[in-house]
Amino acid sequence: MGDRRSAPATGIALSERAPQELPTDIDRREAPATPAPPAAVEPAAVGPVEPASVGPGERATAPAPRPSALARRARRLASRAVTKSGAILLLLAAWEVLPRVGVFDRVFVPPLSEDLVVWYGLLLDGPLPEHLRASLIRSLSGFGLAVALAIPLGLLIGWYRPVADALTPLLEVFRNTSPVALLPVFTLILGIGETSKITFVLYACSWPVLLNTVSGVKTVEPLLIRSARSMGLGPLRLFQKVILPAAVPAVFTGVRLAGAYSILVLLFAEMVGAKAGLGYLILDTQSSFRIPEMYAGIITISALGLLFNLLLLRIERRFSTWRTT
Amino acid sequence: MTTTAVTTKIGIRDVRKIFQVRDAGEPFVALDGVDLDVREGEFLALVGPSGCGKSTLLDLVAGLTAPTAGEIVIDGTPVTGPGLDRGIVFQQYALFPWRTAQANVEFGLEAKAVPRRERRERARHYLDLVGLTGFEERYPHELSGGMRQRVAIARSLAFDPDVLLMDEPFAALDAQTRESLQEELLRIWDKTGKTVIFITHGIDEAVYLGQRVAVMTSRPGTIKEVVEVTFDSRAGDLRADPAFGEYRHHVWTLLRDEVAAAQVQERKAATSRG
Ligand SMILES: Nc1ncnc2c1ncn2[C@@H]1O[C@H](COP(=O)(O)OP(=O)(O)O)[C@@H](O)[C@H]1O
Ligand SMILES: [Mg+2]
Repeated sequence: MGDRRSAPATGIALSERAPQELPTDIDRREAPATPAPPAAVEPAAVGPVEPASVGPGERATAPAPRPSALARRARRLASRAVTKSGAILLLLAAWEVLPRVGVFDRVFVPPLSEDLVVWYGLLLDGPLPEHLRASLIRSLSGFGLAVALAIPLGLLIGWYRPVADALTPLLEVFRNTSPVALLPVFTLILGIGETSKITFVLYACSWPVLLNTVSGVKTVEPLLIRSARSMGLGPLRLFQKVILPAAVPAVFTGVRLAGAYSILVLLFAEMVGAKAGLGYLILDTQSSFRIPEMYAGIITISALGLLFNLLLLRIERRFSTWRTT
Repeated sequence: MTTTAVTTKIGIRDVRKIFQVRDAGEPFVALDGVDLDVREGEFLALVGPSGCGKSTLLDLVAGLTAPTAGEIVIDGTPVTGPGLDRGIVFQQYALFPWRTAQANVEFGLEAKAVPRRERRERARHYLDLVGLTGFEERYPHELSGGMRQRVAIARSLAFDPDVLLMDEPFAALDAQTRESLQEELLRIWDKTGKTVIFITHGIDEAVYLGQRVAVMTSRPGTIKEVVEVTFDSRAGDLRADPAFGEYRHHVWTLLRDEVAAAQVQERKAATSRG
């Protein structure tokens, strides 16, 4: 009833964590029944990432509406769709019109339609599928490995106080260092091949997953822990039956951020000594002045990022239907 | 209840609880010399000023924390930790938001390793007992506050504890919901014969529910007086009974000085900190 709260900015920095005494005397000041979802934790930005908590917001459990209500809802949905896509449509229109009326130089910014024609050509019988494949393999391997490594590590850090204490300062340092700044180090050590690129993506993607998992474990509602302990649950079962499920939404937020990062940071890697990939395509076409092809690369990247994020959002929603905020 | 065969279910013997507060010079004494016997099958209401240590005492009985001195015995055996012989109901429901009502009620049964089929049946039975048939598949956020508290009560009853510990369970509910839940709780208590410790800050609630009302002093909390509450008849509007008013006034008088003392303490603490 009265305990739906907007998400407070809790548990962002590891160093600001509230003292936590899980095994004994758990501090139990009156707290809300539903755990407030921890705000997404982002490591040092590598680029523009959408606001983190586009959580499953508007799920209502409304009864089946009557016809008039249905019409009203359809109208509301339509107006929402216009509001939401309005800005994008405006951008696309500007992209088409402004070069044509001479506000932008057509050579540098060709109208959208021309770019799309070139993009379509590259896709059908051009190098685009190959570049796309190269990028996808790197992104997905790095992303997959990051998720597989960072979730268990995050759970460990979040759950075991000594591990957290030992690792927190180190994590703080790396968290606040942009992965892109470390790209030269990766290339120095691992060369310019696939290993260094995948490792780089792995590294960058690990942070959002790790930090969100840690904060997910740490911000589990103490009252729930108390309640479970009162029913005689030992540490192991407590972890399995309370901590883990409670942390799932936060973990998924991290995974979704990592998905965005996997594409964002890969571009950097592909702009340094690569012979394939979308980043390479963009840089190569720009330097050889094949401008519409460059935009074709940019459009592909953008679409890829959107699709990936959408997919992860879907998965996230499935796994946290119970989350209300 | 006859007075001839009164057995003690919960014995609280000279219990003291001190919290070590960081960067504070003197230790923080929350409870000091608490002595209280709770009878088998009794409904005991516990009232006291805010911050006097009611929840702390409940935690000790639940076995979530250990007393600094003194001991708590249940059926003559000292409490050493939490157990399924005691169920707690918290003010803030403490339901697992990722579990449906049904799955929440099953939680304690899983801990008790009850087979799946029996779990399902028992959960349904207890959800029915608290009037929630048809809401089994709802998530907590799809339920009203009153319904959530019903689920929490069902969850605590489902693993069949002897003792029910309730920490201001109805405080967050509106007046109507609270009254109907009070009545239902009495009905369930009557039916199941559990021993109940019910913390409240409502004097009316304490007198209405409790067979006895234990009044605590301000911090460090201790039992000031235990008031026996008996009515000739509970039929009709009990709250309009003159006897109800007398008990109410008596408990109010006991509490008044303690609440004042607690407020002075609070103000002192605030100024010394600030
Ligand atoms: N874990 C704890 N650490 C330190 N102080 C605590 C702890 N738990 C409770 N207290 C303090 O003990 C006192 C009694 O608390 P509590 O039992 O919650 O009071 P009540 O439930 O009667 O309002 C309060 O002043 C509270 O701040
Ligand atoms: Mg309390």
